[in-house]
Amino acid sequence: MTIQINLNQPPFTFLSAEQLEWLTSRLNLVFFRAGATILEAGKSAPGVYIVFKGVVEEIDPDNGHVFSQYGKEDLFDVRAVLEKGCKHRYVAVEETLCYLLTAEDFIQLVDQSDDFSIYFNTDLGTQQSMVERQDSSVSEFILSRVDEDVIRTPVYVSANTNLARVAELMFEKKQDAVLVRNGQEIGIITGTDLLKATLLGDKTRQSKAADIAQFDLIDVEFGEFLFSALLKMTQHQIERVIVRKEGHVVGLLELMDMLSTFSTHSHIIAMRIDQSRSLKELVVAAGRLETLIETLNGQGVKITALTELITTLNRRLINKAFELIFPERLRRAVCILVLGSEGRGEQILKTDQDNAIILENEHDREAVLPLLQQLHQALLDFGYPPCPGGVMFINDMWINTMEGWQAKVKRWLESGKPDALMNMAIFMDAEVVCGNPELFRPVKQSWQLESLRSSIVSALFAKQALNFETPLTLLGNIREDHGKIDIKKGGIFPLVHGIRSLAFEQAIDECNTLERMEILQQKGILDAETVQGLRDTLLFFLRVRLRQQLDMDDPNRGLSQQLDVTQLRSVDRNMLRHALHRVKKFKQLLTTHFHLDNF
Amino acid sequence: MLRRWIEDRWPRQIQDERWKHLAESYHGEEIVVLDCETSVFDKKKGELLSVAAVRVKGNEIFLTDALDITVKSDAVTDPDAVRVHYLRREDRMAGTPVEEAIEQLLDFIGNRPICGFYIEYDRAILNRYIKQIYGFKLPNRFIEVSELYVKSKRRHHIHEVHLDLRFEGLAKDLQVPVVERHTAMGDVISTALMYIKLTGFGGS
Repeated sequence: MTIQINLNQPPFTFLSAEQLEWLTSRLNLVFFRAGATILEAGKSAPGVYIVFKGVVEEIDPDNGHVFSQYGKEDLFDVRAVLEKGCKHRYVAVEETLCYLLTAEDFIQLVDQSDDFSIYFNTDLGTQQSMVERQDSSVSEFILSRVDEDVIRTPVYVSANTNLARVAELMFEKKQDAVLVRNGQEIGIITGTDLLKATLLGDKTRQSKAADIAQFDLIDVEFGEFLFSALLKMTQHQIERVIVRKEGHVVGLLELMDMLSTFSTHSHIIAMRIDQSRSLKELVVAAGRLETLIETLNGQGVKITALTELITTLNRRLINKAFELIFPERLRRAVCILVLGSEGRGEQILKTDQDNAIILENEHDREAVLPLLQQLHQALLDFGYPPCPGGVMFINDMWINTMEGWQAKVKRWLESGKPDALMNMAIFMDAEVVCGNPELFRPVKQSWQLESLRSSIVSALFAKQALNFETPLTLLGNIREDHGKIDIKKGGIFPLVHGIRSLAFEQAIDECNTLERMEILQQKGILDAETVQGLRDTLLFFLRVRLRQQLDMDDPNRGLSQQLDVTQLRSVDRNMLRHALHRVKKFKQLLTTHFHLDNF
Repeated sequence: MLRRWIEDRWPRQIQDERWKHLAESYHGEEIVVLDCETSVFDKKKGELLSVAAVRVKGNEIFLTDALDITVKSDAVTDPDAVRVHYLRREDRMAGTPVEEAIEQLLDFIGNRPICGFYIEYDRAILNRYIKQIYGFKLPNRFIEVSELYVKSKRRHHIHEVHLDLRFEGLAKDLQVPVVERHTAMGDVISTALMYIKLTGFGGS
């Protein structure tokens, strides 16, 4: 049947193939003109509507407030069907086409499928982890298939193209092979063929492509397992195969491309880092990290596992560079800290460098400075852009002795100025990555003093979390600017900084936001429900941001905080709205906790 | 000529008990939208390749019990036509025998009014088969979507000559999604949506 919506997304993916097929056969199509009421508050619903075209608004009949909006592929109103009766009124804002699944059929599906029913009967966190688990169903790389990601678009030449031009094209397009069209036939010329024909054979620059092309192509079908392609290459002792889809050539699969996909396995990268004997080798290993993230995210690895793995690898990378640059004598005389998101272990794609150094002895400064420059350069080479705010150990402000740091922390906190407090916030998330960790302990203790925590400083510190408005409209919808929101200002920062403020007040040692929350819960500062909610919210933010960052073609994509709401799947859009509401509620909690109304 | 005209307007009583009810007047609220694909575009020679039909009531299109039949036929189609309706000879050979298809269709339609785009063509094709098999012609009321369209435009004082009366033209002006154009089912759904919009249904 002709169903024009994508059911290959949650919650439909919780259904088995047969159930999905049955569902597809049970949909009717209903048209509503602009302004038509689809469901009336208090009345029962004939079934669940899935929007095909148009926009539907959910309106609170008591005050006329728009409660929510539904667009393509959104579902409403499940509650009305499961609990008999709509709470709100549903109106078509523009001409709208919906598929209608009768209540009876919907309930039958819910009864049949555990996952499907749990999805509709649970909170955001459970929904999200269900979606995440579902997204991860494609796991092992060995089970990956020949798809757009691994194949190259072929470059074609005609039968009459001369070999000089063929060589030029290969060079220009960075291809090791081109395809030759000869009437209906398609052949291939590889770099090796070209060399053999001209240098070893009697062909010249002017010879025709068709003269040396091989027309008996070895091919694989698009969608076949990668390893079967690998087998074919081994059997025929070749380095590339043609990829066909329904008989047509759609691309080339190169052995090199396949191996490089294999080589981004995390343990291989870790090994490479450890075995590197020069910074140059480290740069190569660092380059693999991005691909690793893409692969793992593509395989649906959980965001917590991903941050943990990347944090470990990042730190190993810096540590190795440090060992290569610093002579043994100086290694114990310094302590290098990573700050901000890297300190908290919440970085996935490389963001800017945030770091600082503690010197054991002031008189080492001159010896250390050039080494720090080298280390900084190495980090740049690894792909960490410089910090626009200059929070880096190459700047005087972020180099100090133990005593120097203690005094600086004291000054920051006493001044109470926003700039100083933000520096404190960045520094508070510091984690030792190399050198002597003993140097850091006394510095950290300097902001864990009882007298400080109970003072007005905690409140001033916490107040920074309220600096940016939550991007929700008065009516509770996502307030987007040209379809985008700043996910950091609008969601991540208030949450992370709010938790940081509570951690500051409670002198909690941990830096990671999730760990801080856990301890806050143990101490009875936050209740279990709030912690669970905030945890889900933060992980959700990180996940959707990463997904969009990975889609960008920009070396500094890790710095991008603009979330394109229009690109989100409807299930994610819905979760985003819930998540932003959680942040808003958390800000209210902070206001009450720190009495911020008084400032 | 005159006899055909009279026959079309006032069809004779159907003698066959099996189909007598088709000639009874209809009192329900449903219509049936249908579309046929034929081997060549010719009322006399075109062989039925597939037929699709849906019931429509108010603003709802009943996709769940829609009829979508590929007819068993080895008619030679011109290659361009295959590109239009995607019905290859191989697909058609596995189809339903035409007698069976007509019977299913008549059962489905009953005495409901029949609606379509350029429905005269479908009417002529179906009548040719029905006449041959059962000896009568469809007595149902026929509704031409493009006629409804022209009428609605006339109410807004827009003359016919300024209208794009092709299927795509109507779909565009009425903002009806064209789904899988030239599959019988896709055309039927689009036509049904045109009908719903033109008759002013669309919820309270």
